[in-house]
Amino acid sequence: MLKGLFRGSAVAVALPWLEIFAGRTAKACDDGFPLRFGLFYWGNGNVPQYWVPGTEGYDWELSEILSPLADVKPWVSVVSGLSVKLPNVEPHTSGVAGLLTGRGLERVNDEYTFAAPTIDQLIAQEIGGETIFPSLQTGGTDCSGQSWSGPSSRNYAETDPYALYERLFGATFRAPGEEGLVDPSLGLRQSILDAVMEDIGALQARVGVADKARLEQHLDGIRELETRLARLQEDPPSLAACVQPVALAVDFSDQDGRPQISARSRAMCDMIAMSFACDQTRVVGHYLTDPVADILFPDATAGHHSLTHDEADPQTEVRMITTQCVAELAYLLTALSNVNEGDATLLDHCVIMGASEISQGRTHSLDDMPLLICGGGCGAFKMNYHYRSYTQESASEAMLSVVRGMGIPAASYGADEGLATDGLSDIEA
Amino acid sequence: MLRYVLQMLWLLACVTADPLPERGAAPEFEVVSPVLKRLTQTQYGNSLRDLLGSALVVPNDLEPDDASEGLLVLGGTVNSLSARGVEQYETAAFDVAAQVRADSDMRAALMPCAIDDAATDAAAEAENETCVSDTLEAFGHRAWRRPLEPAELLRLTTIASAARSTLGSWDDGVQYGVAAILQSPNFLYRIEVGEDDPDAAAGSSVQRRYTSVEMATRLSYFLWNSTPDAELLAAGESGELVTDAGIDAQVERMLADPRGRDGVRNFFDEMLTLYKLEDLSKDPTAYVHTSSTVGSSAREETLSLAEWLTFDEDGDYRDFFTTTTTFVDPKLATIYAVPAPSLDGFAQTELPADGGRRGFLGQVSFLALQAHPTSTSPTRRGKFIREVLFCTPLSPPPANVDTSIPEPSDSYPTMRARLEEHMSNPSCAGCHAMTDPIGLGFENFDGLGGWRATENGNTIDASGDLDGAPFNNAWGLAAAVHDNANLGPCFSRTLYQYATGHAASEGERDLINWHAEGFADNGYKVQWLLRDLVASPGFRRVGVVQ
Repeated sequence: MLKGLFRGSAVAVALPWLEIFAGRTAKACDDGFPLRFGLFYWGNGNVPQYWVPGTEGYDWELSEILSPLADVKPWVSVVSGLSVKLPNVEPHTSGVAGLLTGRGLERVNDEYTFAAPTIDQLIAQEIGGETIFPSLQTGGTDCSGQSWSGPSSRNYAETDPYALYERLFGATFRAPGEEGLVDPSLGLRQSILDAVMEDIGALQARVGVADKARLEQHLDGIRELETRLARLQEDPPSLAACVQPVALAVDFSDQDGRPQISARSRAMCDMIAMSFACDQTRVVGHYLTDPVADILFPDATAGHHSLTHDEADPQTEVRMITTQCVAELAYLLTALSNVNEGDATLLDHCVIMGASEISQGRTHSLDDMPLLICGGGCGAFKMNYHYRSYTQESASEAMLSVVRGMGIPAASYGADEGLATDGLSDIEA
Repeated sequence: MLRYVLQMLWLLACVTADPLPERGAAPEFEVVSPVLKRLTQTQYGNSLRDLLGSALVVPNDLEPDDASEGLLVLGGTVNSLSARGVEQYETAAFDVAAQVRADSDMRAALMPCAIDDAATDAAAEAENETCVSDTLEAFGHRAWRRPLEPAELLRLTTIASAARSTLGSWDDGVQYGVAAILQSPNFLYRIEVGEDDPDAAAGSSVQRRYTSVEMATRLSYFLWNSTPDAELLAAGESGELVTDAGIDAQVERMLADPRGRDGVRNFFDEMLTLYKLEDLSKDPTAYVHTSSTVGSSAREETLSLAEWLTFDEDGDYRDFFTTTTTFVDPKLATIYAVPAPSLDGFAQTELPADGGRRGFLGQVSFLALQAHPTSTSPTRRGKFIREVLFCTPLSPPPANVDTSIPEPSDSYPTMRARLEEHMSNPSCAGCHAMTDPIGLGFENFDGLGGWRATENGNTIDASGDLDGAPFNNAWGLAAAVHDNANLGPCFSRTLYQYATGHAASEGERDLINWHAEGFADNGYKVQWLLRDLVASPGFRRVGVVQ
């Protein structure tokens, strides 16, 4: 198997892409393309009465805030009325952890942290092992992102489009048809990493339990890097849709005191689409903004978080900002739909989840959470469908459906009040 | 002038037999188990510059630091490194190694011996190998803050030899060796696990101490926020740093060194979260004096004041809040509406004693950071004072409560009127009574920190009461903060956590209170507290690994 052939000595054999995918564990769609997962996240919630579509079932009617999705609506399902059932002890943070881990927060010193890996990492642990990057985290603004491998173990978002370009499509990029990277320094880098692992192993014997675990995370990171160095020497998969994007030439710095949210996010989303198309990764979390972000959006008179609390009903500006967030999700979906894979599009081979940590920003409510399940998902989910729960079903049930939809036979999702052992069958195809 | 000050400090150090505070015995306390400390980004950069030369351009694309207990250095004791962080450390290590190779001065300092790549005879090749081995051993010793084990050196020379044979030159070998040293946990983490103390009293709960070598690292990252220099490391390795006299001698030298100033600046930077000012974002239509660099200027002003108060004045921490001395560049002078003392860069100046602006709480760094992009935030300003300056944690807002405040209108013309809504709601009033009455004392300063007498045409009422001390405006509030009983103990507690590198435990309460009392008895002098803390058993003693 190609997977086992690491180091410079490996002779990578070019196989047709169908055979490459066929031997791997990740779920493939019927047409042979792998299924990818994306999380599109924005902070500070929504305004539910302007978000929830007026009709239920197939071919739902666009609401005000969801109106930017018009062109990609055939791929978008709305799931409304779900609740995060966990205690809301820390506004915003409880919601994001409750949704993305299904668990309550854990306290370390004076700070709350996530008790368990977030859903993107759960999925990456299962299907991320076969690509150059097990997962990617990107940020449309200066944010940390909401991807965690466990307590006090955050996977920070890459927020600089230029750095993301260099990582994905810079000097080490090999287009389909080219041979794997031939660089004698790769083996030397690997020998350094081996030495570092020995140093860490020796150190682990001298420190306490908590520090041992932290060093194990460090080791995981080194193993991931070693795997990547090996993969870079393999021939890239022969994927017709994979094209090296042209180098960026845009100034992304703030303009008139406001971040260029849209320009930055779109540059990132173009690269995300191509990293999927080139099969560099199958799991991406894209964070437009973080929870509590007080960013000045275009045309807003105050920061987003301030407005969610201070703006009087009917919260015209908050609605306008949330609509802008949805428009950036629409851009990602469109970028994915513009890539042809076989007889379908890349978007047909994706599950893209759109989410935020609360519903109404003003009250930090965890009822009627905003949730979108987008993409063809290899047929796992109903498409162009609005499911509204009238019984405040748990958001964890929808998360379990997503995990299972990714081909992972999970028995449950979350814990305590956030535990789900059954998926949300109403959204499954 | 600086040289004169340094000489004076040296003189003091020489004539005083024991400059560490003369204190009675510290109270009993529970020692804390050792924790691994990953270097902060600032420590990483400072260490590399001190090791390799100030010409080094330190890579800044590294894993972000997150705070714990409000301090980045404590975040380094709990947060794990991500896979991306590992990759960034690797990239940074190669970047640094390449810079050293390319810069003749840095290369010469690293490699005092000569290499002849064209050598063909065995003797010359052996000399090359010795030179490379010596170079890596010496650099590894400094970078890892302890001598290398033979097996560790062998791993490094093996990497160097492989690089040489693969890439062609011994310079490649050194470059890869340096890159290996800088990716090792022995550089990236401070490893302080302690040893049994042979002098421990029988039956005492405190049986272990940090080793002398570990104390070199503890002292340098506390006082300099950087790696030990050769002298400190040598003192550690000769066993001097488990004795009072040995620590004394180094502490005096370290505080007199410019790096001592860097260390104190870093503490204030972390405690007051001034680093967040680099990302300050204000709406220029609301604040005409804002700019993309005003945050950096504001940060420098506050750090300059902290440095001046601590070192040039050997001053009282409480005066940080009431002094009219400050340091401004033309940009800040414009916001403060005072003459710029210098047309390029920062210079010391005196704010007018007219009852307007004074002290840290009158600076843009506080006023702008604890506000919104287009407005003030009395709640944030008050919360900062409670939590950061008084160490009084507040509860987050309860869930499912409408947190909105009325829009500005004729009924609610001022921020004070709008916020009173919170006071009428019992589930909000508990906490907002702790924050808003203080924060409203700063309403004469807009969301950037500029002065204003009115809001929407209404004269601002900035009066209030801080824990029973009434004030009429921010000038009076500064005095109330200065006199508040929580101010000194909170500073002492935060500095204790910063110095020791762990979150204060319940079992350390008496010890921490004892430091706070000493701080009060000695005029709240920051330098006194620095000396008191390095002498503290809390700084020098450690529990068992568990």
